[in-house]
Amino acid sequence: MNKFAKLIDDISLLWGTYMPAYLTGIRNTLIVAIAATLAGCVIGFLCGILNTIPHSKTDNPVKRFVLAAIRVMVRIYVEVFRGTPMVLQAVFIYYGLPYFTDGAVAFKGNSGIWIASLLVVSINTGAYMAESVRGGIISIDPGQTEGAKAIGMTHVQTMMNVILPQALRNIIPQIGNNFIINIKDTSVMFVIGFVEFFATHRNIVGNNLKYFPSAAIEMVGYLCLTLAASFLLRWLEKHLDGSDNYELVNDDRLVMAAGTYNYPDKGTPFDERHKPSRDQVIQDVKFGKQRGDR
Amino acid sequence: MADTILEIRHLSKSFGSHEVLRDIDFTVSKGDVTAIIGASGSGKSTLLRCVNLLETPTSGEILFHGKDVTGRGVNAPEYRSHVGMVFQSFNLFNNMSVLKNCMVGQMKVLKKSQAEAKETAIRYLQQVGMAPYINAKPRQLSGGQKQRVAIARALAMGPEVLLFDEPTSALDPEMVGEVLAVMQDLASGGMTMLVVTHEMAFARDVSTQVVYMNQGVICEQGSPAQVLGDPQKQETKDFLSRFRNN
Repeated sequence: MNKFAKLIDDISLLWGTYMPAYLTGIRNTLIVAIAATLAGCVIGFLCGILNTIPHSKTDNPVKRFVLAAIRVMVRIYVEVFRGTPMVLQAVFIYYGLPYFTDGAVAFKGNSGIWIASLLVVSINTGAYMAESVRGGIISIDPGQTEGAKAIGMTHVQTMMNVILPQALRNIIPQIGNNFIINIKDTSVMFVIGFVEFFATHRNIVGNNLKYFPSAAIEMVGYLCLTLAASFLLRWLEKHLDGSDNYELVNDDRLVMAAGTYNYPDKGTPFDERHKPSRDQVIQDVKFGKQRGDR
Repeated sequence: MADTILEIRHLSKSFGSHEVLRDIDFTVSKGDVTAIIGASGSGKSTLLRCVNLLETPTSGEILFHGKDVTGRGVNAPEYRSHVGMVFQSFNLFNNMSVLKNCMVGQMKVLKKSQAEAKETAIRYLQQVGMAPYINAKPRQLSGGQKQRVAIARALAMGPEVLLFDEPTSALDPEMVGEVLAVMQDLASGGMTMLVVTHEMAFARDVSTQVVYMNQGVICEQGSPAQVLGDPQKQETKDFLSRFRNN
């Protein structure tokens, strides 16, 4: 038991001394995770939309070539950034840009580190989101597109008003997934010197070697962040689904609200109250008629 | 002779090597209610989808007020806004309320103001008896209710022709009547309609022209009395005998 008492002592000592540093770390983690997830969504939506532009063999060659080129480029982007570790991507971009431009273009100073971190996490998220968005779009019933086309909507109008709102709703769990992954995975940005929550831990234990107590603080901290995130996302999903109930609007007392349009007294040839039809049925029953086929 | 709205000339459609429609010819005049009947797989729905350019015809012409709409450079969305379509599976926009479903096309395609679109939408929803449900989402409605909203949505665009692709085939039997009643109401109001249907009673009582299709060709066409009452071809007789039970 005294081990636990010691741990609590160490934690309160660390927290008491370094609380501002930890909180700054949490703040930086959250800023990058939120901003990069949003930017990643924008990239993902762009790629997903570009990838699903309809094409047919009857289109003119220029359009077909452009669309094919776009699809190939999106494909390469997705495969490269999904298929390599983010920690390497960070190094690659942070040091690669100055290397190729002889330092003309570089991520200078603290703001450079921020920009590089945001950039790397965003394009990484975008690569994952591109596939999610594509899946979200093709999962929407083709009937929705046909319904929109049939009332004269163009492809862009159909996308903006009908398909994307539904696709967005369907991929919110994926966005949430990416957000939670980003909260945790921004920690690899320490390789380019970005001081987020995990880098704070490295800095602190470098001074006092209290690895385990600090790691315990980090574990609890990350868990709180991700739990809060998933709670908020659930709430958002529920909010977007809207109410399960609806109100009947009945300004006009003459309109029946029972969902029936038939006038009871008059009837139509298609309902049972229509007198000629009823007589026919009586005739059929009397003189025999096979029922079944309509 | 009434105004000709649609003229289908030598229309053919193939999916790969499979020829679904062959040399289809018929004319729709203003106020006509054309019933297209035939067995499943005879190309009825494909024909209707070609008329609305949801499928691209392989060859032939579709003349809308004398102008061919099948060529390149034709503004298909613009053409479709004049030709309403009601689907077997309703295809209401799941992300919008009943009212929004009937407004969105008017606002985005016809560029009407919100107030104007709402007024029109409510007028047509009243006509199909769905005005009390304007706040409901499609998932909260029964099949018959959905189909009536779909009809109102098509009507709200002010189409010159309304195409119905088996509008009652996906409905429970007790809901067929409410949709057919709305359609009959439209027909008596002078709406030009092209209806793919298995409802022989509707074809007999409401339509002014019946087209019987068999294996991708028009086998017989004429007035309901001719085609349904006194069919000339053996295929037509065989088809109809399955619906006549005596």
